Amino acid sequence: MSDAVLHGATLPARLPRVDYNEAVVRKFMIAAMFWAVVAFCVGCYLAAEMSWPAFNLGYEFTNFGRLRPVHTSAAIFAFGGSMLFGTAMYVVQRTCRARLFGGSALADFIFWGYQFFIVMAALSYVMGFSKSREYAEPEWHLDLWLTLIWVLFAVVFIGTLIKRAEPHIYVANWFYLAFILTVAVLHLGNNLTVPVSFWGAKSYALFSGTQDAMIQWWYGHNAVGFFLTAGFLGMMYYFIPKAANRPVYSYRLSIFHFWSLIFLYIWAGPHHLEYTALPDWTQTLGMAFSIMLWMPSWGGMINGLMTLSGAWDKLRTDPGLRFSVTAVGFYGMSTFEGPVMSIRPVNALSHYTDWGIGHVHSGSLGWVAFISFGALYYLIPVLWGRERMYSVKLISWHYWIATLGIVFYITSMWVAGIMEGLMWRAYDSQGFLQYSFIESIAAVHPFLVIRLVGGLCFLTGALLMAFNMIMTIIGPRPALNAMPQAAFVAGE
Amino acid sequence: MSDITKKPRFTHGTIERNAFILLVLALIAISIGGIVEIIPLFTIETTVEHVKGVRPYAPLELVGRNIYVREGCYLCHSQQIRSLRDEVERYGHFSLAAESMYDHPFQWGSKRIGPDLARVGGKYSNDWHYQHLQNPQALVPESLMPRYAFLATRPIQIDNIADHLRTNVIVGVPYTSEDIAHAQDDLLAQATPGADVTGLMQRYPKANLVPGNGRTPTELDALIAYLQVLGTMVDFADPSTENLQQ
Amino acid sequence: MKTETANTVVGICMIPLGLLGLLIASRALDAEMSVFGYGLILFAALFGFSLIKDHYDRLEAAPARMPGADHE
Repeated sequence: MSDAVLHGATLPARLPRVDYNEAVVRKFMIAAMFWAVVAFCVGCYLAAEMSWPAFNLGYEFTNFGRLRPVHTSAAIFAFGGSMLFGTAMYVVQRTCRARLFGGSALADFIFWGYQFFIVMAALSYVMGFSKSREYAEPEWHLDLWLTLIWVLFAVVFIGTLIKRAEPHIYVANWFYLAFILTVAVLHLGNNLTVPVSFWGAKSYALFSGTQDAMIQWWYGHNAVGFFLTAGFLGMMYYFIPKAANRPVYSYRLSIFHFWSLIFLYIWAGPHHLEYTALPDWTQTLGMAFSIMLWMPSWGGMINGLMTLSGAWDKLRTDPGLRFSVTAVGFYGMSTFEGPVMSIRPVNALSHYTDWGIGHVHSGSLGWVAFISFGALYYLIPVLWGRERMYSVKLISWHYWIATLGIVFYITSMWVAGIMEGLMWRAYDSQGFLQYSFIESIAAVHPFLVIRLVGGLCFLTGALLMAFNMIMTIIGPRPALNAMPQAAFVAGE
Repeated sequence: MSDITKKPRFTHGTIERNAFILLVLALIAISIGGIVEIIPLFTIETTVEHVKGVRPYAPLELVGRNIYVREGCYLCHSQQIRSLRDEVERYGHFSLAAESMYDHPFQWGSKRIGPDLARVGGKYSNDWHYQHLQNPQALVPESLMPRYAFLATRPIQIDNIADHLRTNVIVGVPYTSEDIAHAQDDLLAQATPGADVTGLMQRYPKANLVPGNGRTPTELDALIAYLQVLGTMVDFADPSTENLQQ
Repeated sequence: MKTETANTVVGICMIPLGLLGLLIASRALDAEMSVFGYGLILFAALFGFSLIKDHYDRLEAAPARMPGADHE
């Protein structure tokens, strides 16, 4: 059986040591931690602005409209992106038993080039330059720069795959590859614009209205599907087996999970445009495929969770693993919630409300951030050659405070969202609309404040983590001890 | 490992051992959905049925629209009235595809922290907008909207407006060479009290004249000119319009 | 050495990149473009210098280098 290789059972006991490029992975991990704190800080500030508009301060640079893309880009691309680049480079080397293709300067260029993109993008939003495409706001010149970085990243990743010393490409790398490939296609398709001048940043989108909306949400939903899902599933398929010291539950399920996920996800975009001027047939396709998507999503969740069968006791002793497993739980929850929200009558209620915001955050905080924290808590000691994190107790604190934050966040947004949806459609006894729009805004105020509290909890957790990370890195280095680790993923 | 290498036929193991096959198959898998959903939108003619009255934006409206994009207004205001009873009663006729056919990019939005703006044009007076944008809470105490007072002090850039129109032509907006030649005049006329606006009104019917301050129009003037035209181009009382809707 | 060649190529690419930044900064029509142009210059210069520094650091560390370790 080919999964024998996947599970590493046939590997010889002693393999020649490969000189992996871990320096670049370390840089990405530090950047990810830094951007996580930035993204959560900006998020909390925005939550405060929405609770008390005086926080907008009246300056153009601090207004909600300009800071919001700073928050989303910092969370998705800076924090999430640094995690993905870093772990992809780590996993591909380990599971291919090959040093990163292209040399250290190229890897460093990808790192610094990507950080440069993030800083430039954040500056440009604050200065008032935005294509107004959600999650693809940077103007054309920055899009070109990102294209360069992305192509180089793809070259390094695929180059490493090609020069691998392992016969098989490990499942985590399929997901990383799909992520790199699809995000490239989406980025090129969605960001077609014509600049007014080569020396100016302003550009006009190549497409308009209905077609533009479809292309944007084809991009937007698959930024979720491939950036925030496929890439992080790659993380799940490597770090959960490693941390649990168990092979992946089912090889067949991972094949099914991979192909059905990448095929079905692409179709789901139009569920962002139900009841709009987009043709009905497109809306219906989007809804139908969103519901079908539930199947591979839960297949993946089962594969992740069942990997722990026989190792559940580790959750008591390894709070880092607790993060990863909870993340898979949240993945299951939000991939159930998503299809439900795409059903037309539900969407009629939920769309345009805070329910959508809550849904996004159950995915991004619960799934993306938690699986990243799990990977970081595993990787930091490995990358810096420490036996364990500076404080295991702090990891536990981080876990509980962050979980509490998510619960505050998503429950308050459920209540606020459903309340808004119901108030907008409420009729009085005489058949008139019962509430003015502003009444719905006033009614959800308490829940917006609770959301801020949830965000602050999550931020506090991240600060604990940053402290723990710094103390681990600057702490003393143990003498090299020969602890042989059992290999449960190919190549190590 | 040896038992796999013996197998001659194509299995998933074959894909796992060849990065190129994996890459190509993944590329095919992710392309199908996008191709099926996007390409027909450009080829099926009923996707965007042309409706009488929809015209390209007047130069000042276009500048205003760029400010709307720049400030991220779309993050809190949708411009898409869904075909649901309560939305139609609250905001007006549901949005037609044609109404955003000159919107590069579209501004349909995804979240309402403020009301939908697809038909906000003409609902409030110019004066109301001037006051509201500079201090929303003075008019609507519960509003969460930031203040945009800084727009009132910033003159718009007028010398490159023709370039903006030309770029719009490249992406498919039917500005004529006459529109482009008069772009700067039209831009100024729409925000200058007492200016001759016959040319402007001929090229851009229903353009809303904003008072301006007698000097270079400000960003606030431009934004209000844009807001006031939203949703007003199509005349829904005209029976020929009704026939066009599915 | 092969990787040294790859590193040199990346380093040489910093020259056109910096020049492009210079060109953009000099002709920029708006604040965003000039920030981007100056940013590119700074990026190319700093990254180029860091490559040179890394190169000499490696040469210095070479005799004492332990197998498998590639810390900065």
